[in-house]
Amino acid sequence: MEEKKTLLIADDVMINRELLKDIFEDSYKILEASNGEEAIELLDEHRDEISLLFLDLVMPKKDGLEVMHHMSLNNMISTIPVIMITGEATVESDVRAYELGAADIIYKPFEPAVVIRRAKNIIELYEHRISIEHELEIRTQELIESKRKIEQSNIFLTNALSSVVEFRSQESGEHIQRVKNLTRIMLRHWRALFGENQFTDEQIELIVNASALHDVGKIAIPDSILLKPGRLTEEEYEEMKKHTVYGCQMLEHFKQEENEFYQYCYDICRYHHERYDGRGYPDKLTGDNIPVWAQVVSIVDVYDALVNKRVYKASFTIEETYRMIHRGECGTFSPKLLECFDDAKEEFTEATQI
Amino acid sequence: MVEELYNKIGGDYAKAISRMQNDERIVKYLRFFLMDESYSQLENAMAANDCEGAFRGAHTLKGVSQNMSFEVLGHIVEQITEELRAKEFEKALTTFPQVKEEYKKVVDEINKIIG
Repeated sequence: MEEKKTLLIADDVMINRELLKDIFEDSYKILEASNGEEAIELLDEHRDEISLLFLDLVMPKKDGLEVMHHMSLNNMISTIPVIMITGEATVESDVRAYELGAADIIYKPFEPAVVIRRAKNIIELYEHRISIEHELEIRTQELIESKRKIEQSNIFLTNALSSVVEFRSQESGEHIQRVKNLTRIMLRHWRALFGENQFTDEQIELIVNASALHDVGKIAIPDSILLKPGRLTEEEYEEMKKHTVYGCQMLEHFKQEENEFYQYCYDICRYHHERYDGRGYPDKLTGDNIPVWAQVVSIVDVYDALVNKRVYKASFTIEETYRMIHRGECGTFSPKLLECFDDAKEEFTEATQI
Repeated sequence: MVEELYNKIGGDYAKAISRMQNDERIVKYLRFFLMDESYSQLENAMAANDCEGAFRGAHTLKGVSQNMSFEVLGHIVEQITEELRAKEFEKALTTFPQVKEEYKKVVDEINKIIG
């Protein structure tokens, strides 16, 4: 059988407590407090058992308002319903009681039948609500957990895929991680400079993940070109440029309509060698026809290539790199993107020195 | 016997029965009523010109009287409670003798049947 529920009656007048006790003691376990302090002690001690509190407003030591304040501070107000006991029915005092979180108000003198009915209703209402909230809480936790797992697998898979290319190019694998890192920095500065609502945190992380795949199409470039230590011939270079298109072709096999992540991956693969002046490849897009995320990965890719040593070249200092990029020696970028690039310089410097 | 008491002091016996179920219970509450200190709190505070304390005493006594369905006493205590709430202490002073008289009457009658 179900255990008896517990009621707390807080009223300084014994007669009032006794009246309520008489009404409820057959079906409920009763706790009594004769002032606010006692009520608070009992609430703290029995917070998980108490199903309902009858609370008198005017009491010695701490009064009813202070008891409710204590309940609010300790998150009890949403789980323990309070029925305020009051001697007089004025609109102001009623409104005040409800504002403080009272579930109901009863007026002295009590009418037993009414009080019993209300108490039952309120207890049921709160129990129902609490169980729904509990259920919801569990579902939410499950959702958050499964979302986290999916995100982790996503990150793992994009990293794995992109490292295949790097492995084959005999690069260290750090380039991808650096591009991701720098892309995140750029996007945050972009958001700070050009409006809070441009990218959400979630979007930024999607783009960061997508950036790992920017060179995935290089898997389709023959070793003789990809691994060639010296300068590429015109013909070889034309083939090399196709890694942007190859990347997209690979992705298209798994095309997901309306999927944001797919769109970022596709755009970044295809457009990360486009130039703001339209002299890039493969589509010779101009200006802001190039998606911002592709522009960002583009400048980050160039930056990282310049500050790090490659098979075919030595590295430049950060200052030299900034100068070269601003002078347009390594592609042209939009003024906004360059502004963002400058804004991020401190963090770029930090990220590069690690 | 209890009904008679209610008639003598201007109480509402029918209401009291509906709230307290039976005479036995009512008698239990009559004893509690004698033990209740709100009247002495009111009286002492009135004597000490303590409007705030008198209000608290009166407020409690009002609730108790109403719960006991002592209609006449409850009514006059309600009046003094409102006067004290409004800080009209002079008015309350002129009301207080009536409160005292009604309270005494109630206490005397209760004592008669409780013995």
